[in-house]
Amino acid sequence: MPENYDNGTEVEVRDLNLWYGENHALHDISIDIPKNSVTALIGPSGCGKSTFLRCLNRMNDLVKNCRIEGKVHIDKQNIYSKDVDVVDLRKRVGMVFQKPNPFPMSIHDNIAYGPRIHGTGKKNIRGVVEEALRSGALWDEVSERLDKSALDLSGGQQQRLCIARTLAVRPEVILFDEPCSALDPISTSKIEELILELKKKYTIVIVTHNMQQAARISDYTGFFLTGELVEFDKTEQIFESPREKATEDYITGRFG
Amino acid sequence: MSNRYLKEKGIESLLFASGAVAVIALFLLCIFLFRDGILLFSEYPINSFLTATKWYPTAEPAHFGILPLFLGSVIVTIGAVIFSVPLGIAVAIYISELASPKISNVLKPVTEILAGIPSVVYGFFGLVILVPIIQNTLELPTGQTALTGSIMLGIMALPTIISISEDAISSVPRTLKEGSLALGSTKWQTIYKVTVPASLSGISAAVMLGIGRAIGETMTVMMVTGNSAVIPGFPSGLFAPVRTMTATIALEMGEVPQGSDHFHALFAIGSVLFITTFIINIIANYVKKRYRFNL
Repeated sequence: MPENYDNGTEVEVRDLNLWYGENHALHDISIDIPKNSVTALIGPSGCGKSTFLRCLNRMNDLVKNCRIEGKVHIDKQNIYSKDVDVVDLRKRVGMVFQKPNPFPMSIHDNIAYGPRIHGTGKKNIRGVVEEALRSGALWDEVSERLDKSALDLSGGQQQRLCIARTLAVRPEVILFDEPCSALDPISTSKIEELILELKKKYTIVIVTHNMQQAARISDYTGFFLTGELVEFDKTEQIFESPREKATEDYITGRFG
Repeated sequence: MSNRYLKEKGIESLLFASGAVAVIALFLLCIFLFRDGILLFSEYPINSFLTATKWYPTAEPAHFGILPLFLGSVIVTIGAVIFSVPLGIAVAIYISELASPKISNVLKPVTEILAGIPSVVYGFFGLVILVPIIQNTLELPTGQTALTGSIMLGIMALPTIISISEDAISSVPRTLKEGSLALGSTKWQTIYKVTVPASLSGISAAVMLGIGRAIGETMTVMMVTGNSAVIPGFPSGLFAPVRTMTATIALEMGEVPQGSDHFHALFAIGSVLFITTFIINIIANYVKKRYRFNL
């Protein structure tokens, strides 16, 4: 594992194990995710990368029979300790999903949703919405039709809306769960540009099936296989001279 | 080869015929209902039928004003809606979003059993239990009031409202709820700000169908509402006896000479009732279809 990041560590995971009922889905995962950088998680389907991602904002709490052991520290706080408020945690750790999931309401209300539930008043909401849409690289396309339904946007726009919606609650970490898998190449490149822009302010963890995408946008890459973190290193290192045979086989397309 | 073809065709036409029976039945029903209803207007002006405030079918001259009956149906139905819609939606939310599978596996069949109880049993229950309760607690001269009918109809409309709203709420994609939770909203905020609004079209359809059920119900209302054909006030009319359109037909049809004006007037009431429920069903279907998820 690489040591001493320039910007420090944001997420520190130690010996994380996860079971779905009897199924041991994650084995002894330990990883340090650096601040203000993009960390990609790659691996074949069913390897546990998305499951791991969902541990970081405790989305797995919603799954019945899911049991978790180990430590996950975000910004020095153990997020699985009893005194942690999940609502508060999810405010700090935002998530963008595989399929764009805008709420069936107007563009404006989609963005305002988070800030409103966290108590932003009427006076400030307009500014928060504009700022989030600008950061989400969507403002120029939608500023004229904020009160139109978000469901009328294209898939790529919807996904940027979902990113902007996440930004509106001002998280520290943003988790991306295969955000481009349902999008066309042009929309994908827009999202990738956006992610590169966002890493200046946020810590980003992205699960992706697309290895070129991981190579293009990430600073660090972790390779998952059958519930284990096989290798985690600088992205160049992983793609140019991986230390593990399994990583090399996967990257060169021999399986997966 | 031709034998097999004939068999296929035969089965197909048989099934088509079964489907056609429903359509034909509806069609014939309309024709007879409207034909006998319209005959009234050769003797009695349609204007008076729709706007007159008195229903004295056996007086001399007879008065066939549908207004008190129509408004009777309306006030009982409004009361039923006020009672059953919030309760029904709350139960639907509980079953689909909050209850553990164990509890919802009990609740769902129980609400369905509620739909299977014959209306005369509801009426009997209302008459014996609810009527005295209403009379005593509100200190009214009689417990047979619009309110009593509303409560009974509300209970009877609950299964429809619950099962259709529950379908609508359960069909909201999981990704939408996760999206809301991931922004740091609580389970309850997610329910009332995302899940319920997203299933609003289904819920409105449920409400419309519940109204349709309430307005067409006969036996129960006849047994508990007192059946006096006066124009109800609102809301004071809730606490007085009323008579609905359905109860009027049921009460008077047995005693009326066939082919008389009174006979035709009852058919005219039937036509109005038919048109009303027809419109309600069309609205219900429209709101149900208006919004679909493609996530």
